[in-house]
Amino acid sequence: MSDYKAVVIGGSAGSFAVVLKMLSKLRPDFELPIIICMHRLKHIRSGLAENLDIKSSMKVVEPYDKERIEKGKVYLAPSNYHMFVEFDGTISLSIEDMNNQSRPSIDYTLSSAAASYREKCLGIILTGANKDGAKGLKDIADKKGFTIVQDPKTAEVDTMPKSALKIMQPDLILSPDGITDFLNNLK
Amino acid sequence: MDFKQFLASFKIKTGYDFCDYSDNSISRRLDKISAESKLSFEQMLDKVMTDETFKNKVIDEITVNTTELFRDPTMWISLYKTLYQQLPKSATITFWHIGCSRGLEVYSNLIMMHLLGNLDRCRAIGTDLNSRVLEIGRKGEYSYRFNLYFKDNFNAVMAGCGLDAKFEDYFDIDESQDKMKVKPFLLEKPKFIEQNLVQDKAPFAYKVDVVFFRNVMIYFNDKLQNKIMSMVCSKMYDGAALILGKQESLTSQMMTRFTKTGQYYQKKVLL
Ligand SMILES: C[S@@+](CC[C@H](N)C(=O)[O-])C[C@H]1O[C@@H](n2cnc3c(N)ncnc32)[C@H](O)[C@@H]1O
Repeated sequence: MSDYKAVVIGGSAGSFAVVLKMLSKLRPDFELPIIICMHRLKHIRSGLAENLDIKSSMKVVEPYDKERIEKGKVYLAPSNYHMFVEFDGTISLSIEDMNNQSRPSIDYTLSSAAASYREKCLGIILTGANKDGAKGLKDIADKKGFTIVQDPKTAEVDTMPKSALKIMQPDLILSPDGITDFLNNLK
Repeated sequence: MDFKQFLASFKIKTGYDFCDYSDNSISRRLDKISAESKLSFEQMLDKVMTDETFKNKVIDEITVNTTELFRDPTMWISLYKTLYQQLPKSATITFWHIGCSRGLEVYSNLIMMHLLGNLDRCRAIGTDLNSRVLEIGRKGEYSYRFNLYFKDNFNAVMAGCGLDAKFEDYFDIDESQDKMKVKPFLLEKPKFIEQNLVQDKAPFAYKVDVVFFRNVMIYFNDKLQNKIMSMVCSKMYDGAALILGKQESLTSQMMTRFTKTGQYYQKKVLL
């Protein structure tokens, strides 16, 4: 795990179930911070972090502005805020305009993580019905970080993984279980 | 020229001091303007001096003025169940909305006060450094189709509080003109006053009972947050309430002067 400083994940339609399963199967001593940006449906804006927290051995939080990123914690972008990873190892939030019709925007989270962690960033794009996140994942690849795209054949909605594959070549294309195994086998 | 040098020159040229805005977010915002306008920081500074529209665009971009009616419904529902049940029963209640943008937070609160039967006793002040957004707040007129989710927020808050009020009780809607306008009985209540928090004192003489200060300090560094919160604190009665954005917290230095109760902070009574 020393090769990376954090895992950064983006997803939209269908991704909640994938993330829930992944977090519940991660080994208990998984120590990289996991930073997740998921689009939410308007009517289920709250309770996501609580639901993930119950299933995960890592602590899941919706961070406050300027909160420090720590090992062994999961950071979930709060509803209606963009979430950025900063050079000083903190998270910052903003309510500026939507990006790709989304707030939080996955591109913003992934691109800021790419700039801050460079080659020590591990980025993952999951199922989703929007192209948000594709450019962010490309930014991670451009900075020589490691990138994974969920296999579109296993995606509930394949627009998001396909949009990523259209503009970049990830290191791996994996099923959800494949992604979990990959993370659990990180040295 | 880096963004720090840009901000120092911007201050000298325009009088607007953004030097203590949070480094990360302001450098990102300036990079964005530079990319979109295809101008270097030097060229941006030149253009600011001759082109008023561009200057305003830079200020808008730096200060981020997005806002909604009943933004974060769960927060309003929690306020209704706690703070709003404990407001003074007889005297005037003064609300100060800092960084109020187009006034939607001010009108959200006044709707709650109307439903609680407090409207006549309310004094509401909205301040912002941006005179253009304040003017929209004064008019109380917003585009309709683009902002349909205001209605969703409104309905979510009413349902959560067990209140039965309709959006049309507070807004006149003209779909053909794509407009909604705050009804006159609400529109006449608030005062919108220009104030730049970095350099101006509070633009009124009295103290306030409730301060809304949501999603403004996220754009400031800790030093500026402390300085401005001291000024704000001095305008609050002992025991007065401070409401920050859903994901904001006070710096540890300011926290010594408040206690946190649910969704809001209360100014400690000094003995
Ligand atoms: C993101 S908006 C928040 C609006 C509203 N409070 C809400 O949460 O929906 C931030 C507002 O703060 C204002 N602002 C930023 N810097 C300021 C300053 N130095 N003095 C006064 N207002 C400022 C901006 O003009 C903008 O309208």
